[in-house]
Amino acid sequence: MDREAEFRRLYQAHRAAVHAYFTGRTGGHPSAADLMQDVFLRVWQHLDELADLSEDRQRAWIFTVARNLAVDACRLPHTRAATEQALAREPARTPPPVSTAVLAAERAAVVGEAIRRLPEQQRVTLALAAAGELNSSEIAAALGVPAGTVRYRLSLARRSLAEALGHYDDQEEER
Amino acid sequence: MSLDDDLAAWAAAVRLPDAEADVIFRRIIATPVPVAGPAAVPVPGPARAAVPRLAPSWWGDFSAGFAARMIDSTRPVRRAA
Repeated sequence: MDREAEFRRLYQAHRAAVHAYFTGRTGGHPSAADLMQDVFLRVWQHLDELADLSEDRQRAWIFTVARNLAVDACRLPHTRAATEQALAREPARTPPPVSTAVLAAERAAVVGEAIRRLPEQQRVTLALAAAGELNSSEIAAALGVPAGTVRYRLSLARRSLAEALGHYDDQEEER
Repeated sequence: MSLDDDLAAWAAAVRLPDAEADVIFRRIIATPVPVAGPAAVPVPGPARAAVPRLAPSWWGDFSAGFAARMIDSTRPVRRAA
């Protein structure tokens, strides 16, 4: 087996989803990349075992490692404090819009803040769907929950986001 | 702008850039792979401080005491003669 080629295939197939998972878990903290690296380091070390598994089982294996690492990372005081700090951060006050680019940036900040404020399960599910580009079944396999639960969480998350953006649009019209 | 457009813009902003992902890939493949030996030697975990534990009978003792107090509290107070 060409270890590097096999690892590259797994890395390319799953890195976006794993990073999206940690983005959701940490509320967008930069440690998401470090945690992703830890997951794939384990993939590299256990490549022989993984190579024999089906694609679904490989994804399940990778996300089991990711979930365990996320739990361990949350136990570390500095990570937890940083995450809580990121989640508690007040939305940045932005100056009045002067151009389309500023409007887009302001809207992106509103979206990011609304996502950070979602309950963790909804935030992780939404991150896997939006940034990880996984469908409901794939997210269900990754998180170990039924696909119906995934669709329900996505629906709640989208509703919360739509409300947050609705408030923002109302304020924009009043300006 | 639709919600899907907003989510796509957010996803593009938080996604790990390819260059950074490539650096991580190279760092990982440079890591030596542990060779499986004939007998796996268990790696000792970090020493854990002894945690004081409750006595095994604590719940029985506690709930018996609690029940006795509850029953006592429902009895009429005896008047002094």
